[in-house]
Amino acid sequence: MNKTITAEAQIASNIVSAKISARKVNVFYGDTHAIKDVSIEILDRSVTAFIGPSGCGKSTFLRCLNRMNDTIDICRVEGTIELDGHDIYDASVDPVQLRARVGMVFQKPNPFPKSIYDNIAYGPKIHGLAQSKADLDGIVESALRRAALWEEVKDRLAAPGTGLSGGQQQRLCIARAIATAPEVLLMDEPCSALDPIATAQVEELIDELRKSYSVVIVTHSMQQAARVSQKTAFFHLGLMLEYDDTSKIFTNPDHEKTQAYITGRFG
Amino acid sequence: MKEHIVSSFDEELQKITARISEMGGLAEEELSMALEAVRLRDGALARKVIESDDRLDMMDARLEHDAIQMLALRQPVASDLREIVAALKVSSTLERIGDLAKNIAKRTQVLNEGQPLRVTGSILRMGKLTQTLFAEVLDAYTSRNTSMAVSVWKRDVEVDEMYNSIFRELTTYMMEDPRVISLCSQLLFVAKNLERIGDHATFISEMTYYVVEGEQLGDDRPKGDPLAAFIED
Ligand SMILES: Nc1ncnc2c1ncn2[C@@H]1O[C@H](COP(=O)(O)OP(=O)(O)O)[C@@H](O)[C@H]1O
Ligand SMILES: [Mg+2]
Repeated sequence: MNKTITAEAQIASNIVSAKISARKVNVFYGDTHAIKDVSIEILDRSVTAFIGPSGCGKSTFLRCLNRMNDTIDICRVEGTIELDGHDIYDASVDPVQLRARVGMVFQKPNPFPKSIYDNIAYGPKIHGLAQSKADLDGIVESALRRAALWEEVKDRLAAPGTGLSGGQQQRLCIARAIATAPEVLLMDEPCSALDPIATAQVEELIDELRKSYSVVIVTHSMQQAARVSQKTAFFHLGLMLEYDDTSKIFTNPDHEKTQAYITGRFG
Repeated sequence: MKEHIVSSFDEELQKITARISEMGGLAEEELSMALEAVRLRDGALARKVIESDDRLDMMDARLEHDAIQMLALRQPVASDLREIVAALKVSSTLERIGDLAKNIAKRTQVLNEGQPLRVTGSILRMGKLTQTLFAEVLDAYTSRNTSMAVSVWKRDVEVDEMYNSIFRELTTYMMEDPRVISLCSQLLFVAKNLERIGDHATFISEMTYYVVEGEQLGDDRPKGDPLAAFIED
């Protein structure tokens, strides 16, 4: 094998792979110090899971990644977070544009009280991603296909999104997030309101999405983290105690607290 | 380590650990009876080994069943996962050690038909060493003592060396006097079985290390190669 080429490929893949780079991030809600000195490199085209006990700061940190915390008055974020090497907290960055690049899916499916079609079309419209009705139709279809929902809803695009089942609503929300052509998808416990079948469908979808996006998922289910992610970060009391390959975390974690948490020994 | 929030999980893990200890004890006893049967030329004792081996087989099957249930129902991870996987492997290793002890016992039937041979003494010494290493590794596994496990792992080479020298001694006898071929080959089987038991003991060392450290013990263990010894002659 040619050594030079391998080395170059290595460097190239490193450059492509770090999608988000956070350094020394601290988050405060008034006096509450919710995130303490967290640094992490989140890879492109892979799924990163955030795990840890309730209140450890998973959602808070996730929301930093698309500046969702800006909407909370008492919340203060310190440190640097870069997307493709550019500081997302820079004054020149428009948070609305940022959130189109870094989409978010929430715990409870929250479709707009509009048609299935409009739920998807809304984002691309406001971001000016479609030049014509045909363009928009194309975007809607492709987003629904990517979210593995097209076959189930193609004959009732005008029906209200809220009339779908819970699992379908969640996939609709994922389709909505995908429609603005994001690069990163943040998901905060996206399956916690779903039954096992709908959960499996969303997990299958996440596995599919990682071919095109960087996916970050907060989950309370250890099995889910183990099933869908390649990297896992363990949070505890606002600190990120361990970050490693998911296979390493679930067979031989370095940190005693990670071990205690994933094996169900937390008191 | 701290207890699980779900205490029945701890109970199941403890049960598996206790069963491994019990199986280890049984295998030790089988080996010691088998060697006694060889030493005393005692056919009745040999038959007892053969009978008691059934129990070890049954215990292995039961442990495997329980471990698979735990894997399916508890979905263990990290040290719990390693513990259960290691128990599965150690259990089947103990079952095989039992088979080898049984095999040694079976040889006594033929051995008792002939004159006692002097080489039997070397084999019994090899048996003693194998017993010692086996007892130590069971201790190491039960107490999760990696340094003890590594020490056994390293000392298995002594068993290999004893095997090589017995091998040489026996082949010499057989060449000198073809009438002892049948007897000597039985003894050779006994020695070979002991050598295999030594290897299984090192495997239990490796499992001990895996449970504790989550990593494999390297594969640079000192080994005595029986074939090399033969070829060089
Ligand atoms: N909007 C908020 N206002 C004040 N404190 C908050 C707010 N959101 C979260 N917190 C606090 O920040 C800490 C981390 O919460 P969160 O990020 O929701 O944890 P997790 O998602 O891991 O359960 C908790 O102590 C929580 O009470
Ligand atoms: Mg949360």
